[in-house]
Amino acid sequence: MPVPVRIGPAEQKLIDQLSAAGASAAAERLGAVGLPTRKVESYHYTDLKMLLRAVPELAGAGHALSEPALRIPGAHRVPMTNGVADIAGEMPPGMRAAIVHGAALTERDDVLVRLNSALAKQTLKLEIHSRATQVVHIDRRTEAEGPAHMNDSVHLFVADGSKATVIETFSGTDEAHLSNHASYVAVGKGAELTHILLDLSSGQSTNLATAEYQVGENARIRTLTIHVGSALSRINLFARFVGEGATGDFTGLNLTTEGQHSDVTLELTHAVPRCAAKPLFKQVARGRSTAAFQGKIVVARDAQKTDAKLMMQGLMLSDEAQILSKPELEIFADDVVCGHGSTVGALDEDSMFYLMSRGIPRPVAESMLTRGFLEEVLDPIEDEELHSALEAVVENWLEGNP
Amino acid sequence: MTTPMLEIRNLHARIEDRDILKGVNLIIPAGEVHAVMGRNGSGKSTLSYVLAGKQDYEVTQGEVLLDGEDILGLDPGERASKGLFLAFQYPVEVPGVATMTFLKAAINAQRKARGESEMTTPDFMRAVKDAGRDLHIDSEMLKRALNVGFSGGEKKRAEILQMALLRPKMCVLDETDSGLDIDALRVVSDGVNALRDPYRSMLVITHYQRLLNHIVPDVVHVFSDGRVVESGGKELALELEAKGYAEFDEAAA
Repeated sequence: MPVPVRIGPAEQKLIDQLSAAGASAAAERLGAVGLPTRKVESYHYTDLKMLLRAVPELAGAGHALSEPALRIPGAHRVPMTNGVADIAGEMPPGMRAAIVHGAALTERDDVLVRLNSALAKQTLKLEIHSRATQVVHIDRRTEAEGPAHMNDSVHLFVADGSKATVIETFSGTDEAHLSNHASYVAVGKGAELTHILLDLSSGQSTNLATAEYQVGENARIRTLTIHVGSALSRINLFARFVGEGATGDFTGLNLTTEGQHSDVTLELTHAVPRCAAKPLFKQVARGRSTAAFQGKIVVARDAQKTDAKLMMQGLMLSDEAQILSKPELEIFADDVVCGHGSTVGALDEDSMFYLMSRGIPRPVAESMLTRGFLEEVLDPIEDEELHSALEAVVENWLEGNP
Repeated sequence: MTTPMLEIRNLHARIEDRDILKGVNLIIPAGEVHAVMGRNGSGKSTLSYVLAGKQDYEVTQGEVLLDGEDILGLDPGERASKGLFLAFQYPVEVPGVATMTFLKAAINAQRKARGESEMTTPDFMRAVKDAGRDLHIDSEMLKRALNVGFSGGEKKRAEILQMALLRPKMCVLDETDSGLDIDALRVVSDGVNALRDPYRSMLVITHYQRLLNHIVPDVVHVFSDGRVVESGGKELALELEAKGYAEFDEAAA
């Protein structure tokens, strides 16, 4: 007989919110097991039971109070405030936007997914039916004058043969919000998608997000997940190759500064043969902060000729920082090339000396080398305006701003 | 007497617990080129690193005056801004930092430290193009990450390009001839000679006389066991080449 877990005030608040939303099964489940602790393997580095101290009231409808956290010249911006998307503006050619009731994610066994499924009231559904050149920016914000608990949901569908670049930013008012975002992304046959998740939310907030990717035959996907903002962050990435011959570059920049804890967890499943993936995640931690990455590649029995190489590189900018990394491979097929690597270090002293010997002051040399370390991940972003907007985000972080 | 460009007085330095420099004395007047010759392990490269301010070395005694000012308390960046330049024996590969970005950052950091205004981009581009022409450095090479994938010759030419752009008053060249074939040696030496100037001094560290046929020194110093054991004119280099270093080891003992 399992011992009942002690339910803390934050958990109780979530249970009450789930019950009030009519999600009795999810409420019951949370009441029985509580939030995941580090004993739950997928939350090993992010003990939500301990780290999530307070759950604010659920956000109301709300209206924009903050400014867009990122402006990308030439991009089509779709504002989404407290879960409600504004799709009144004309969409670029070949794109359709709609709002549907309910949440977007599948029945995945994850606490963030269960909360979002129960609490997100509507989903922004975005369909791309052309080879778009214009960047789409989904500007997801949590807007309230006090702390709010907000759940929002996006469903992105890239039709066969289409091409798109979509960035989703998370931001909002400067409050201790709890935001829980969901994105469901389907990439059709032969389609190409660049998909970016960028957390720019306030330094007091908790930002949780889950993105699910279904990648079809011969499709090409590049994802880039960036954490800069929130105090506590957990981003789940669940990617699945469902059509043969697809390729995926799943990448990330996990940047943490004083007081932050940020965890990116990727689970990539090769369900079919002949797909190639090169997950590359870079983490930089300074001050007393924790950056964690878990990457798991699952290769199904039938997924022969899989080519997958998972890489995590960490850069410590202070002695008090912590970088955690856990790569995992679960391979059931026998004719595959799979590998993983993980490195963590400080800035190279010889490189520092070389730059400084040319008159470059230490802090400038440090940020040049750090930028150089991150370049590999930003470089492949083709759209120039988007690329420089992301460079500016990184630059701002390097200059010591959150 | 005018102030020497570089004056090293009784310099002692160690790395970990090993004493490497054991009382170096050296005076280089403005406008002169001095060579330091010595066998491997005699401490020549350590001298160059200590002058540039590499952290791994601990100075236990002595002084280094650049144009009359003690620089041992300064970090490498500050020394560079005061006009010291070290051409590395093994220039460091820096992935992710484009050579042009680095050059511009270095030039402007030094100008800023001296209270001058930043160089405009057109002026910078022109300066790089002009300096690169004589060193056979094309713009393609400058777009690449700093020293990454450069051949031995390209790395050394890039060092001299930096020297030409930064216009230091004291240049330390650490085994600039190593890894160069005859043609590359000529290009690099010509680049160095073009920078000879009555207000600029150079310390050329090498263990072969070969380089000194191209960069003809005013004074040659023999280095052994962490100090200068003999000084003379350029003919001293020829004597060393003929007799080897063994004879000078006794002087050090």
